[in-house]
Amino acid sequence: MNRARMVHLEGVTKRFGAMTALRGVDLELERGRCLGIFGPNGAGKTTLLRILATLLRPSAGTVCIAGHDAVREAEKVRPLLGVLSHRTFLYSHLTACENLQFYGRMFGIQKLAERITEVLQAVDLEAHAHQLVRTYSRGMQQRLAIARTILHYPVLLLLDEPYAGLDQHAVGCLQKLLLQLRSESCTIIMSTHDLHRGLDLCDEIAIQSRGKIVYSGSSLGIDAQGLEQLYSAYVE
Amino acid sequence: MHKDLNSFTALMSSSKIFIQQVLALLAKDLKTEWRTREIFTSMFVFAVLVVVVFNFAIGADPQVIRKVVSGVVWVALVFAMILGLQRAIQCESEEDCLHGVLLALHDRSALFVAKVIANVLYMLLVAVCVLFLFSIWFGIDLTSCFFALWIVLVLGILGFSFVGTLFSLIVLHTRTREIMLPLLFLPISVPLIIASVYATASLIEGKSLTDITDYLTLMGVFDVVFLVLGLLVFDFVVEE
Amino acid sequence: MLSRSAFTLWRMIHAVAMYVVVGLALWMIFVYVPSEKGQGLVQRIFYFHVSSTFTMSLAGLVAFVASIIYLWKKAPRWDNIAMSAVEIGTLFCALVLITGSIWARPIWGVWWTWDPPLTLTLVLWLIYVAYLMLRANVQDDTKRARFAAVLAIVGGVDIFLIYLSIRMWRTLHPKPIVIQEGGTTGLPPSMFWTLMVCFVAFLLLFFYLLRERVFLAQSRHDLEIIRQEIDDTLKG
Repeated sequence: MNRARMVHLEGVTKRFGAMTALRGVDLELERGRCLGIFGPNGAGKTTLLRILATLLRPSAGTVCIAGHDAVREAEKVRPLLGVLSHRTFLYSHLTACENLQFYGRMFGIQKLAERITEVLQAVDLEAHAHQLVRTYSRGMQQRLAIARTILHYPVLLLLDEPYAGLDQHAVGCLQKLLLQLRSESCTIIMSTHDLHRGLDLCDEIAIQSRGKIVYSGSSLGIDAQGLEQLYSAYVE
Repeated sequence: MHKDLNSFTALMSSSKIFIQQVLALLAKDLKTEWRTREIFTSMFVFAVLVVVVFNFAIGADPQVIRKVVSGVVWVALVFAMILGLQRAIQCESEEDCLHGVLLALHDRSALFVAKVIANVLYMLLVAVCVLFLFSIWFGIDLTSCFFALWIVLVLGILGFSFVGTLFSLIVLHTRTREIMLPLLFLPISVPLIIASVYATASLIEGKSLTDITDYLTLMGVFDVVFLVLGLLVFDFVVEE
Repeated sequence: MLSRSAFTLWRMIHAVAMYVVVGLALWMIFVYVPSEKGQGLVQRIFYFHVSSTFTMSLAGLVAFVASIIYLWKKAPRWDNIAMSAVEIGTLFCALVLITGSIWARPIWGVWWTWDPPLTLTLVLWLIYVAYLMLRANVQDDTKRARFAAVLAIVGGVDIFLIYLSIRMWRTLHPKPIVIQEGGTTGLPPSMFWTLMVCFVAFLLLFFYLLRERVFLAQSRHDLEIIRQEIDDTLKG
């Protein structure tokens, strides 16, 4: 297996009853690269990310992550993934620390207490570690969700519209973290319909429209305006 | 800083991971319940209400009461459990926590096992309290068959938990959860309801464990069948 | 599979055969077979009652097997078959209960007793209804099919335990009325053959209804797909 190729999708199709959300998506991403998927609502970005996260099975096609078939060897793939979605996956009646302890035990993280302190510091929540998540503001909950995502040292980050509804503090934390992770060869796939944010982070961009990847290429030399032009060219 | 892909899976064997994950899930559920005490209190209060209402419905004749006591206990316990299952599954659907858990699970049946254990623990606690009240309110002596009664309770509650946990995860995705869970659960549990009620009734009448072996066998078979079925089909129930 | 014309030909043959045999059965029930000595005219309902029992059990078996195959192969056709079988099974199960009551009233003096076969039929009917209600309450197509299949399999395995437990239950309660086993032991030849013809008639009827219902479900599904394709093409 080519270990440099972190993600390899071929002909991935997903049907929900009579509706086709993804039609023959092909995608390839090397280790350590960051891909930004841009597209309007309904393009199938969330479906694509959920298939990558092994939460959905494709109706057709192959999904290969780190050399493993994500459908047949899902339990080998899951510990590698860090998934950030619209919902936080956090238990509101537990404290931040307890939530992270739970996920840490599930992933079998060694030296858990130190790791928890580390991630809480990274998202600036150390002072609130022992407060119930119920008492957190929305921004704090999102920061904790980011901490949860990176807790188990994932090698592939899947971020579904990570900037949506974040407050400034959280955006700052996220940017800092993502830059740091990218420098550590973490592979990142991020979907967004915000054309400006994240462009500086991404090495490669793809534009998705109505279930297909209509454009993909390097982000070198493309600024926000260039991306806007591409976007309007490929998406009505 | 990044761990190698294989280190976690290589360090432990599959069964150790399974046990560790079951314990982590169980600890999380019990911790949440300890903090809110929602599940236990709603189950207990509901069971007590059922007993009280039955008391008015049956009348005061002690002969009649002795005959139906076992049925009333199990009706109260079964309906309390349905209520408890509804609440338990509710907290997994908030903030999509179920997906967070599924992403962390190595073997998905660990979730089934953890939920069943939690449910059995709550139910045993409720059963203790309800039986205690029963013996006081209806003057029924349970001390003579105490040990045998516990065997029947455990077998019954275990079986109901297997069925209930499986269906509660199905019902999570339906529109009318409140009616769907009892509708699915009760017809399928008929064998266990019959066996539990009659085993308990025999014990209260003064029979010994050896007299109710056929009921115990049926309960045991039901438990084993539904444990196996639950583990087999659980993957189909939680996958998208 | 078969070409369209061959399929239609088989359907026609099946339909003709069914009408002929059903006609024959009706003639045999109402004209040919003599009235039973003890019970009189109402005993003729026995033929409908027993044949319906046969069909309702067959429906359950078909649903059970089709559900297992569905979970194995994930082809929607098997889900359609399971659903159609349960719908028809519910109908025949209700017929068993109703014809049983109509038969019981003049013979036993009561509309209903909690005898093992009656109780079993009632519980089976409840499981069939639960299956249909589950299907009605789940919105996502794939989930609906999967959950229904799980329920059918659980129900199918459980039915043996239900039978055992109900028999155990009823041995405690001696029959309040001496009930004559309704002519099922030592049937005279005319009654025996009438019953056999009835079985064949109901069998043909069951498979005819099943085939038509599956065809309807499949057509609906195909229609939805075509509608979606039109929608997609119109959008450009």
